[in-house]
Amino acid sequence: MNKPIKALNARSATGKISNEAFLNRVMFLVLIVLFALASIFIDKYFSTATALNLIANNWYIVILGIGVTFLLVSGHLDMSVGGIVGMAGVLSAYFTQPANEGFSELGQGLGLPYGVAILLTLLVCLFIGMLNALFIAKMRVASIIVTLGTMSIARGIGQVAALGAQRSAGLPDLFGVIGNVPLFGPIKIAAAIAAILVVIALFIEKKTSFGRRTYLIGANREAARLSGVKVELHIGLLYMLSALLAGITGILLASEMKAGISTRGAGFEFNALVVTLLGGASIDGGVGSVLGMVIGALILGVVSSAAYGLLLRPEWQFILKAVVTFLAIIAQRYLLDRRNK
Amino acid sequence: METNVLQIKGLVKDFPGVRAVNDVCFDIKRNVVHCLVGENGAGKSTLIKILTGACERTCGSILLNGEEYCARSPKDARDKGISTLFQELNVVDQLTVEENLTLGIEDTTFGFLHKTDKIKKIIDVLKDLEPSINPKERVGRLSVAKKQIIEIAKAVASETEIIIMDEPTAALSESEIERLFTIVKRLREKGVTVIYISHRLDEIFTLGDYVTVMRDGMHVATKPIAEVKDRTELVHLMIGRTVIESYVPKEEQSDEVLLTCKDVCNHKLKNVSFNVKRGEIVGFYGLIGAGKTELARAIYGADSYSGEIVLKGEKLKGTPEKAIKAGIALVPEERRTQGLFTLLTIKHNISAMNLKKISKLGLLNSSQERATAKNYIEQLNIKTDSMDKETSKLSGGNQQKVVFSKCLFANADLLILDEPTRGIDVGAKAEIYAIVRELVANGKTIMFFSSELPEILHSCDRIFLLYEGEIKAELQNGKDIDSQDIIHIVTGGAAS
Amino acid sequence: MSSNCTPASLRAQKAKRIVKEIYVYIILLAVVTVLSLLKGDLFQRGNFLFPPNIANLLRMSAPILMISSAFTLIFITGNIDLSVGSTLSLTTVVHAILVLNGFPFALSLVIVVALGVLLGSVNGFLVMKLRITPVIATLITMNAYQGLARYLVPPGISSITTTDTLKMPEWMGHFSKDQVFMGLSWAFIVAIVLLIALVILQKRTLFGKYLVAVGGNRTAAELSGINVVKVVWGVYILLGAISALAGVARASYLLIGEPYTGVGAETEAIIACLLGGTVFTGGEGSVVKSFVGAIIIVCLTFGLKSVIPEYWQLLAKGAVLVFAVVLNHLLSKEAIAA
Repeated sequence: MNKPIKALNARSATGKISNEAFLNRVMFLVLIVLFALASIFIDKYFSTATALNLIANNWYIVILGIGVTFLLVSGHLDMSVGGIVGMAGVLSAYFTQPANEGFSELGQGLGLPYGVAILLTLLVCLFIGMLNALFIAKMRVASIIVTLGTMSIARGIGQVAALGAQRSAGLPDLFGVIGNVPLFGPIKIAAAIAAILVVIALFIEKKTSFGRRTYLIGANREAARLSGVKVELHIGLLYMLSALLAGITGILLASEMKAGISTRGAGFEFNALVVTLLGGASIDGGVGSVLGMVIGALILGVVSSAAYGLLLRPEWQFILKAVVTFLAIIAQRYLLDRRNK
Repeated sequence: METNVLQIKGLVKDFPGVRAVNDVCFDIKRNVVHCLVGENGAGKSTLIKILTGACERTCGSILLNGEEYCARSPKDARDKGISTLFQELNVVDQLTVEENLTLGIEDTTFGFLHKTDKIKKIIDVLKDLEPSINPKERVGRLSVAKKQIIEIAKAVASETEIIIMDEPTAALSESEIERLFTIVKRLREKGVTVIYISHRLDEIFTLGDYVTVMRDGMHVATKPIAEVKDRTELVHLMIGRTVIESYVPKEEQSDEVLLTCKDVCNHKLKNVSFNVKRGEIVGFYGLIGAGKTELARAIYGADSYSGEIVLKGEKLKGTPEKAIKAGIALVPEERRTQGLFTLLTIKHNISAMNLKKISKLGLLNSSQERATAKNYIEQLNIKTDSMDKETSKLSGGNQQKVVFSKCLFANADLLILDEPTRGIDVGAKAEIYAIVRELVANGKTIMFFSSELPEILHSCDRIFLLYEGEIKAELQNGKDIDSQDIIHIVTGGAAS
Repeated sequence: MSSNCTPASLRAQKAKRIVKEIYVYIILLAVVTVLSLLKGDLFQRGNFLFPPNIANLLRMSAPILMISSAFTLIFITGNIDLSVGSTLSLTTVVHAILVLNGFPFALSLVIVVALGVLLGSVNGFLVMKLRITPVIATLITMNAYQGLARYLVPPGISSITTTDTLKMPEWMGHFSKDQVFMGLSWAFIVAIVLLIALVILQKRTLFGKYLVAVGGNRTAAELSGINVVKVVWGVYILLGAISALAGVARASYLLIGEPYTGVGAETEAIIACLLGGTVFTGGEGSVVKSFVGAIIIVCLTFGLKSVIPEYWQLLAKGAVLVFAVVLNHLLSKEAIAA
């Protein structure tokens, strides 16, 4: 009985890589090619500055992408992350602003220490995540409908708290620190936080039973249930995780600008979804990876900066994003179909 | 005009790893009720699917009125003269009875619907079958039986030369069945040929003119009903040589009761009570719709129920997750939709039910996972070149072995097997039986749910017979067991 | 089956069915009652129920009424179209450009509706032919159409409007602002005609029946020989065309081509349909009730604006959506009578 096992090992060592690794490699190649093309056609594009900016300008989408990737792997959408980014920024400012009278209404907050303010903000974000969890996991309403609603609620809370404008007056210096600690060049500590979160997410995704259960649910919800996975609880946790990450993003962005702006993060939900899809995830669930998402975010970053470098009008960003996503979906499906024939 | 309306010649259908229909040849005469019988997996359904255009044949020919016949879709089949009453309910709940009856055959002017005699005629057919159905009622509010009748009415009203009825009485009551029979006889008088498929052998003797028996994808016999002596002969044709000799009784029986079910009821089950002793293989045999799957799922906690299910002296709480903790594992009826994660690899499937065992504090130990997968691939002889292969690429038998591995790894004392050999080839079936034997030898207890009598007789120590959600009889397997008695009971006859 | 047949449970079922039929009207009544009790500065003569007030409200809301009615159909087939808002934006801009460049109303209308057909058929193509999940496919086109709408507005200005060289004709507002009948505009009358047409389409035509069949039981529809691809594609095209018509009405009301005007319209349409009892998994929905649902949203938007600051709007919208989801969930479970 030992023989077949040996053969089995030998073949798996030389055998094909998994679909996920295959797609990641393809998308990495696409990233290199796009970067090369941009370097050829755009003057001074090929530089360290460009590469650094690529990281400095896209860290937030990577943080959001982590939560969205996990959800997409489990077969669910989250359109509320952009709204939560806006809300978290405003709330963190509101909680920190001094409570004393005398300032205008927009300058008056709760006067809490910054640490407490952050905790409170994240709690509110978790509450939005719980709303998603309740309706989607428990009542089984389509995730797109629910998260469109919570997107409005989150951004709505932000707008109400910012009186339809922004909160920046009277913020203590501490508020602007965490988003502005420089590391090197244009890269600030937020990018490092994103990197740490990515490493943790990669670990959770591949090395923990939590990550594994996410794949099991996405691959076959009923089989997962019959295999003893607490499906509803798990999906609920994923939505809370996604809301938490969006909250962290919002707090970091607010700190960077030293202002809580209620319109911040508009359209981020689409960007987060796009980078996840570019990374090979499918809305049908069961496939996708954080690593792919990071590559996807870099591809989107290259496309955006190249469009900027080519002096295209900013409106092109929308169209390019749509076209890139479309091409990625079609191409990935074609490649996988051919590979798995 | 030819006397044979349909001639099937050398028909073959291959699925990956399985030959579902193997060189089938027989003729169907015009203007008769032609019955088609055989056990599950005999190839009836596949044959019907080819006739209705739901799937393509591998080779062979079908002649309709002497001309080559090939349907691309059920609609195409209907246009060519064969309409079908499918086994699954194919009504739209949100439409009214009348709208359902005319779906796909409406009369329109410039896209507007209007009433014609056609609708009236179809409704007359319905009234004949079941006068109590209001044509304006929404179908969603009707019972399953009435939905079935709507489908029957639709097939009957299509006035095609041939009507195929696939288990039309599965959900009907006695009086509804009576009315259906009257309709079928009237159809025959009108010159229609009815191909009638049923597990209820009584119906075949009441209704049929001819009967074709299929077994393991092959044609066994076609003869006039008048020439069939009795049910026994039919059953013999269906299940082939008796396989009872292959059963080897266990030498020693444990008296320890592992599982007790008391008055278990739900939408399908009626006061099911029994117990299972440690180390037994207990068979549950019944036809489609007898409540086997419902019972298996209730014990596992996948469906809700009332009553009491006690395992090792402790009452089960009614979720799969708790059942697994208590030491039960289920090999579900539908492998692809309930048992397997087809997108994921073999090793990830095998560990799915017991991630705790390969992890510490939530951290997976991948070398342990690989070792586990290797172990089961070896133990159950899963044919694959790598444990990193997606399970969608395996054959049915190997997929089922992966599901078995998953359940074994869950470390259960009690394994519930629901149709464990469905859709897999003969060789793999034998392997599954061997695995079951070995498990019991290693101290496991097995509940074996199947609608194939030979495998029940082959493997099980005790057998419960189910009919319409009730346990009708309990038998000890052995030399004296009489397969005719069993068939008699599970088709609704009284237990002797 | 049999356990549900006690007289009490039958009565409960019947009551539930009646509630399901009429609750959208009750909500409308409640909203109107509450608003009429409020005194707001924005209401003319300080009262919500003052007829010119209502007429103004209805003139303003024609586009969302049109889109919501048509959106019901896409929900009935069990699909979704998130691009309606962007289609509205894009067609508003295109209509403004055409009119500004001297096109007569009728010609511009035809061109814009044709554009709507094109945009809708792209959605249908992505969903039915390329088999991209409806949510993803229409999110993609949502962004593409929104980008186009912005791109068509020249750099440096925020919307299509009278410039040094070109002047927006004075008839631009006729379609949506003129008071033709009891203070109502042409656009609103068109919305009503459209509503009637859609009701007839849903109740009396083959297409309407096939929508339900496709959304209710796709397998049954296919077995009955219905061309599911054609039916769903057709709905996307219809929705595109009607969104374009709404774009014409919107441009005429605003008098400019505003590229952001459609943002959030898809959410409003979804809320309207859910309030109207449409089942988002398919098979069930009433055009009329979605229309009423849209009127509720319009009343709330307009009414809220007059009593609390505008920045409450989004939160209110989200809350109403969640409320509608809950209501829909509670009323959707129908017991089966034997």
